[in-house]
Amino acid sequence: MRIQVSRQLLDRQLVDVDGRLVGKVDDVEFALDADGVPYLRTLLTGPGALGLRVGGRIGRMLVLTAERFVTDRPMVPLRIPYGLVDRVDSAVWLRIRAEQLPTSPVEEWLRRHLIGRIPGAGRAGG
Amino acid sequence: MKKLLAATLGILSAVGGFVDIGDLVAAGQAGARFGMAHTWVLLLGVVAICAYAEMAGRIAAVTGRAVFDLVRERLGARMALLNLVASYLVTVITLAAELGGVALALQLVSGVPYLIWVPVAGAAVWLVLWRMRFPVMERVFGLAGLALVVFAVALFWLPTDWAELGRSAVRIDDGGQGWGAYWFVAVALFASTVSPYEVFFFSSGGVEERWSAADLADARFSVLVGFPVGGFLALSLIATATVVLRPAGLTVSDLGQVAHPVVLAFGGVGLAIAALAFFAVTFGAALETGLSAAYAAAQYFGWQWGKRVSPREAARFHTVLLVSVLLGVLLLLTTIDPVALTEYMLIISAVALPLTYLPILVVANDRTYLGDRVNGRWLNALGAVLLLVIVAAAIAAIPVAIGTRMGQ
Repeated sequence: MRIQVSRQLLDRQLVDVDGRLVGKVDDVEFALDADGVPYLRTLLTGPGALGLRVGGRIGRMLVLTAERFVTDRPMVPLRIPYGLVDRVDSAVWLRIRAEQLPTSPVEEWLRRHLIGRIPGAGRAGG
Repeated sequence: MKKLLAATLGILSAVGGFVDIGDLVAAGQAGARFGMAHTWVLLLGVVAICAYAEMAGRIAAVTGRAVFDLVRERLGARMALLNLVASYLVTVITLAAELGGVALALQLVSGVPYLIWVPVAGAAVWLVLWRMRFPVMERVFGLAGLALVVFAVALFWLPTDWAELGRSAVRIDDGGQGWGAYWFVAVALFASTVSPYEVFFFSSGGVEERWSAADLADARFSVLVGFPVGGFLALSLIATATVVLRPAGLTVSDLGQVAHPVVLAFGGVGLAIAALAFFAVTFGAALETGLSAAYAAAQYFGWQWGKRVSPREAARFHTVLLVSVLLGVLLLLTTIDPVALTEYMLIISAVALPLTYLPILVVANDRTYLGDRVNGRWLNALGAVLLLVIVAAAIAAIPVAIGTRMGQ
């Protein structure tokens, strides 16, 4: 499968097998195989990776804001091996369910401390 | 009837965009100062928003991607972040103005000062966003906003000189107010007609409604009915102001004066209907702007968003919603004039317009997205010309605003 990383992968929506939104492809990581040929190894998603790509003061502010919600710093991005990608069209579709990946720490924190405490948080509006 | 209900998303998007609180007053002012001389701007704006909302709706239906997904993809992480910050600021300040509008409509009915109503309005808007199902919300507020049609009806009731009204609509004239002021109002009116949050809301609403390629006809119907209906309502506001306020030499500075022509035509009943309409359109616009702010943020970062999933599962999205409504309420409680604030916002948003509309036009031509549902030749030609107009408005916005001291 031929894919142009900058045009078709970067900044696309990551979607799990049920259609849940997992994050954006904030960055990618290459590696060298046994013959020294580079290949696409990992998709990175999360404020840590995004902040580096945005760069500058704004990028750092982005990471610092997100890090307020986590205990272990620096904040590491979520790493998704490229082998888990099922197909790439207007989104990057994964073969697995979102629950099999670690939840974003910011989402987790807000769920536990804010949104989850409001009555009716467990019911979908539809 | 089912067809009509399919159009409510377009109606609500349009009503929130260009017959919201800023426009109730701005349209009233435009009519009172310049008569119908800005009709062409409104028509151009309606054509532009129809063309681009159709593209955005088609992309949403075929791919499930809403507008800010496209902005992020085509502008890259950095430029899109700039657009996000600008759009978020504009949208939240507009949300504040809409909450102020809800409060002002309640003041009009109850006589209780609007500042007391502000927290009530904020809480009510948040509750609807938290609980109400998307299709119900869209229908209730889309249809209730149609009560504004009372302004058009008033035109028929009043001794309107239709020939003169028609002539003033095709005559471009500064009405003795100066051309600087004329163009300032033109840019502000155009920017309000094509506010980016309309396409954020419309395309995200399509995803919320789970449009698929099979719903393309409905999506197009929603665009081609909804936005022109909004334009018609805005035009009737300008027309009533032209007919009633302009000859009397009155200017518009609050909602009560905007309602004046309807009161003149129908008395107390007219006032009640006008107040209901003001309430519905500002409440609908508050919902639209609040959701748009959260949609844009969630789509930029790739968070789970939408009202289909429970708030627990979209905690970041619902946090942005909650914080935006709170910010809006706090901003109003500083006793700042919300309507004056939207005037400034319209100018700032005019500068940022191309950052939203260019990515839509690019993706609407991308076969990897849309297959053979890409734009046809005519739509591309129209889209390109309209984009030039949008860029021209963006470039002109700040010089015109400074040169005329905000349209003085």
